Amino acid sequence: MTVRSWIETWRVRVGFDTPPDNTARRLNRPYPAAVTEAMLEAGKASRATTSSASRRDLLVALTLSDLRARYGRGGWQVMKWLLDPFFATGVYLVLVTYVVDRPGPAPGLSIACATVPFQLIIASVVNGLSSVQMRHSIVLNTRFDRTMIPLAGVITETIVCGSSLILLVVMMAAYSVAPTIAILWLPLVILVTILVSLSIAYPASLIGVWWPDLRTFVLSAVRTLFFVAPGLVALSQVPSGAQKWLKLNPLTGIFEAYRSVLLYGERPAAWELLYPTAFAIILLALIVPLYRSEQRQFAKMVEG
Amino acid sequence: MTARIVAAGVGVEFRFDRQRRPVSPRLSHLRRAGTRSWGLRDIDLEIGPGEAIALLGRSGGGKTTLLRTIGGVFVPDVGTLTVEGRLGALLSVGAGVMGSLTGRENAQLLGVLAGLPLSMARSATPSVQAASGLGVAFEQPVASYSQGMRARLGFATAGEADPTILLLDEVHEALDHDYRAFVRERAREILAHGGIVIAAGHDHPLLEQLSTRALWLDRGRIVADGPFAAVCSKYLASSPEAE
Repeated sequence: MTVRSWIETWRVRVGFDTPPDNTARRLNRPYPAAVTEAMLEAGKASRATTSSASRRDLLVALTLSDLRARYGRGGWQVMKWLLDPFFATGVYLVLVTYVVDRPGPAPGLSIACATVPFQLIIASVVNGLSSVQMRHSIVLNTRFDRTMIPLAGVITETIVCGSSLILLVVMMAAYSVAPTIAILWLPLVILVTILVSLSIAYPASLIGVWWPDLRTFVLSAVRTLFFVAPGLVALSQVPSGAQKWLKLNPLTGIFEAYRSVLLYGERPAAWELLYPTAFAIILLALIVPLYRSEQRQFAKMVEG
Repeated sequence: MTARIVAAGVGVEFRFDRQRRPVSPRLSHLRRAGTRSWGLRDIDLEIGPGEAIALLGRSGGGKTTLLRTIGGVFVPDVGTLTVEGRLGALLSVGAGVMGSLTGRENAQLLGVLAGLPLSMARSATPSVQAASGLGVAFEQPVASYSQGMRARLGFATAGEADPTILLLDEVHEALDHDYRAFVRERAREILAHGGIVIAAGHDHPLLEQLSTRALWLDRGRIVADGPFAAVCSKYLASSPEAE
């Protein structure tokens, strides 16, 4: 009998039994499957877990708890989500227009095309860095798939940062920039932003567990990425010699894709979407297996 | 349905770097080598259906580590462990609840973590509220709860997933007398249906009410295994302060 078939046997044996007088029976629904664990091959544990609570349910539950734990409840919290990107863009707008004096066309909209996606990216990193420690109570009490934690964090931040899209609409109206057919590309551009955020959230979460002392340094490094990308001014305003170097930064493609769609009214260039996507996929391919393996040690490393 | 736990040569190792920070085996290769210690060592154990076990021993003896390993929170570094059954666990002082969430929100989250579908975890919250006896506090952030209230919430939520293996780590000691009676009754129900109850703590009269068998753990190893009264006597004789 192979290990897999042995595990499956146990799943069937204990997975769908229904003891008397329980919630499942009262609700006339399938009983939550057993938590059956078979750990075999000394030191190389192979855990089989069956549960009718799907990964989707786990993801939703983690996301909802994350939203409430991080952002609280009530109308004032919504106002805070809305106002945050306005303040960030306002500060940079003053900097670019009056201090640096390189406003360019529709500077407020151009800056918003960088600050809005960057808000999601940096918020995902902040979330990721503390995501495991913040959940130490459940990490130390319950076995669950902890690879869902960074994913839940990015979904949380996507929901919160979603409100900042209003800033783009406000800026387009303020500079009388009419939307074109190119705006149909916006959902894809947002998806790429989410993908890049996710790819950075996993290593951030791992760093938060491995080297909690480095959280401030990581945040500074990510903020630096904003300034070594065309965040404050468009790529076309950057000296041509520096452009090729800035293009190495995956944020450059994202910022320029937003500008293409919203400011220039044209389809984003292929590299603007493909380069950040390739960066994210490669990073995820490298980090997620490591995270999956390392998450079994989290309970030993988080502080109770 | 029955439950069973079998451990053969189980060991759980903790590694630390030179600053005494806990590290994973992989991370220990990247950081300067520090110390290692075994939280559990050479644990051979078989627990069958209907058995109630008390874990005795000094603080740091390995009780919590054993419970967390059975609960799947820790993965054994050596040996094999088989756990058959549905787990309900209160393995941390905070009973696994998040302070920033309300009792209701925690109940839903813990319900899903315990294996309930989200819809069922939501629909089960009235019965969790009733079983916890928290009343209006159920809608308030858990940060405002006492240790006993947290334990009530954790226990009521764990019970909703109808565990066949119940793991209790000292948290039950924070409960008041009324709720302890409820925990005892719930434990007896689980045992009557072929389940397993394992409780660790220092309140020996309470443990005696819950358990028939005891394991004495010291420095991660099983020192004695047998009837509660006999093992408890041995433990107390070895450690007069424990009395």
